[in-house]
Amino acid sequence: MALINDVTGDPAEPVSANSDGITASAVSRSFGPVHAVEHMDFHAPAGKVTALIGPNGAGKTTLLLMLASLLAPDSGTISVGGLDPLRHRAEVRSRVGWMPDTLGVWESLTTREILTQMARFYRLPAAGISERVTVMLDRVRLTDLADQPARVLSRGQQQRLSLARALIHDPSVLLLDEPASGLDPGSRVELRTMLRQLAAAGKAVVVSSHVLSELDEIADGAVFVNQGRTVRQQTTEEAAASGRRYAISATDSGALGTKLTELGLTFRIEDGRRPAVSLMLLSDDDAARLLRDLVLAGVGVSSFAPASGALEETYMNLEGERR
Amino acid sequence: MSQLTDGRKHPGGPVPAAGYLAGIWDVVVLELKQRLRSRGWYIMLAVWFLLTGLVTWLTWASWDASQAARRTFSDYAPAEVTGPGSMIFEVVLAFVLLFALLVAPALSANAVNGDRAGGTLAILQVTLLRPGQILWGKFFAAWTAALAFLVAGAPFLVIGVALGGMTPGHVLVALLMLAVEVGIVCAVGVGISALAGRPLFSIVVTYLAVAGLVFGTLISFGLGTGLTQGTVMANQAQYRESSPLGQGPAEPEYTCSGPLQEQPALHTERVAWLLAMNPYVVVADAIPYPDRTRQLGYSSVGAIENISQGARYALAGPDRTHTCANGEAQPRYLGQATPLWPLGLGLQLLLAGLLMWLGWRSLRTPARRLARGTRIA
Repeated sequence: MALINDVTGDPAEPVSANSDGITASAVSRSFGPVHAVEHMDFHAPAGKVTALIGPNGAGKTTLLLMLASLLAPDSGTISVGGLDPLRHRAEVRSRVGWMPDTLGVWESLTTREILTQMARFYRLPAAGISERVTVMLDRVRLTDLADQPARVLSRGQQQRLSLARALIHDPSVLLLDEPASGLDPGSRVELRTMLRQLAAAGKAVVVSSHVLSELDEIADGAVFVNQGRTVRQQTTEEAAASGRRYAISATDSGALGTKLTELGLTFRIEDGRRPAVSLMLLSDDDAARLLRDLVLAGVGVSSFAPASGALEETYMNLEGERR
Repeated sequence: MSQLTDGRKHPGGPVPAAGYLAGIWDVVVLELKQRLRSRGWYIMLAVWFLLTGLVTWLTWASWDASQAARRTFSDYAPAEVTGPGSMIFEVVLAFVLLFALLVAPALSANAVNGDRAGGTLAILQVTLLRPGQILWGKFFAAWTAALAFLVAGAPFLVIGVALGGMTPGHVLVALLMLAVEVGIVCAVGVGISALAGRPLFSIVVTYLAVAGLVFGTLISFGLGTGLTQGTVMANQAQYRESSPLGQGPAEPEYTCSGPLQEQPALHTERVAWLLAMNPYVVVADAIPYPDRTRQLGYSSVGAIENISQGARYALAGPDRTHTCANGEAQPRYLGQATPLWPLGLGLQLLLAGLLMWLGWRSLRTPARRLARGTRIA
């Protein structure tokens, strides 16, 4: 896979200690009066999938554009493998793969031509391009559509093409802006598997999203941003450890409520379609214990499940803090 | 400028000029592949071909008809008929230049911001391509696409030559100058498209720029001439008395004598550069024509020569054209020899280069400033 052989770091440049993955420290960027990003800190280590989570307009895309060396920060520094994009543009670019949130494709070109062009733009050795393109097409399951113009691709196929485009030069840092939007469930699972594989291969993978349910499964860690600021950085384990809301429904809601009160737990009655209650539990052990207690007490539990993902819980708490 | 920065980024190694050109070529390939696959381009090309053919045929037919009428209703038969060649050539040249000036903005002025709107510009910018490579690639692709229109129009220019009076050199020079003019409009269009946010806006601005070059230069020259009131030192001209028309040497027609006096004159040479920027003037002035100073009468002079001589006359100013300026007999109206197309072309190149440079600045990444209302992706 070592197709990039023209990446030669400046020998005079000392490699900083924090040279793996991609790091932004105290970056700010404003567009006129709008402060899109203010003193944001971000770190995505190599070999991990890092989720960038925040509501619309939180500055996720702006941060990713800065990480992708398309935008210069007004202040603060960015380091990709110890290199500053402002000074080592070419080196940084050959290490970073970027998949934008907009689906821009050259519509009249075929899938294969698009990937070939991208390989040329990344100055891959001409001899290996055709093989590399074939491998990438196979990897994103577009081999059947290799010679179709890109305009006939469905949205999901275009997303996969976009992913292949970002991966064509085998970057060590992968920046994905809303990669799952518009994907059907099957493709989401596929994307998840692929991102895990890429992380396992030692790449730093950054995924921005506000669809949180699947990020639990993908991400090793998450950076929460809101209103242009980093609100929290945590790993998924930390998020899970900080408690999680469970939803319980029973054939007899009254009996369930009585038992929970008896156990001394505070719960709230959900106003969903089916009568249910929800409550915070700190760990998986707590959940197992509660379920056993309920069943032993003869409460007819019909469902007992996390009401939200671990990251979603943090996210919703942040939302709450904001108000 | 981009090559300089390119060299800076690769310390120690050779300046990869070949790599820089290869990047431009890759962009050109990408652009041309897209253009060649759009049906609209072929339709425009076909319409262009038919239109140019129609104009050629109409010119020829009208000349033919006027000749026939002259033979029928008048005993006077011109001794030397040069054929319609010069006229067809001039009319077709004027139309081809007009159409080229109209087509080139459409082919170039959405090159960059069209991609920006389609979300494909950032895809290019994030690769190892340098901003100059993207811009040059876009420019050469637009120019190539526009040159296809010239190639489609070339047969009719050749017909103009074949019908008499002109040499292949005329066609070559004319096509070369047309290609250069189209290239300048393409560069202006690509530069503006990199600067403006919306494709519609940049196309309109490019058309206005073309209108400015074609009409604005004429208007501003005309109005500007009024501001060049001045004087010239001249004395009295003595026209030779017994010189029947059509005999004897034409030059000089007069002799100068008497004391030099200040006489009012328009110093058109001060605003001639405006006229020089006109694409028609540049093309007409660059096309060679025979020296007429030994000939008599202006009747057989074509439009190209008239434009060229008129512009050169303006460039020469009263010191070279006013009767008996500085006590010397000046060359006749058609005797101006100083070409002004290098000046005009230079100014046009300056304008195009400036816009391309500004466009290059706006394509640099990581971007520090973005144009108002644009997103990088």
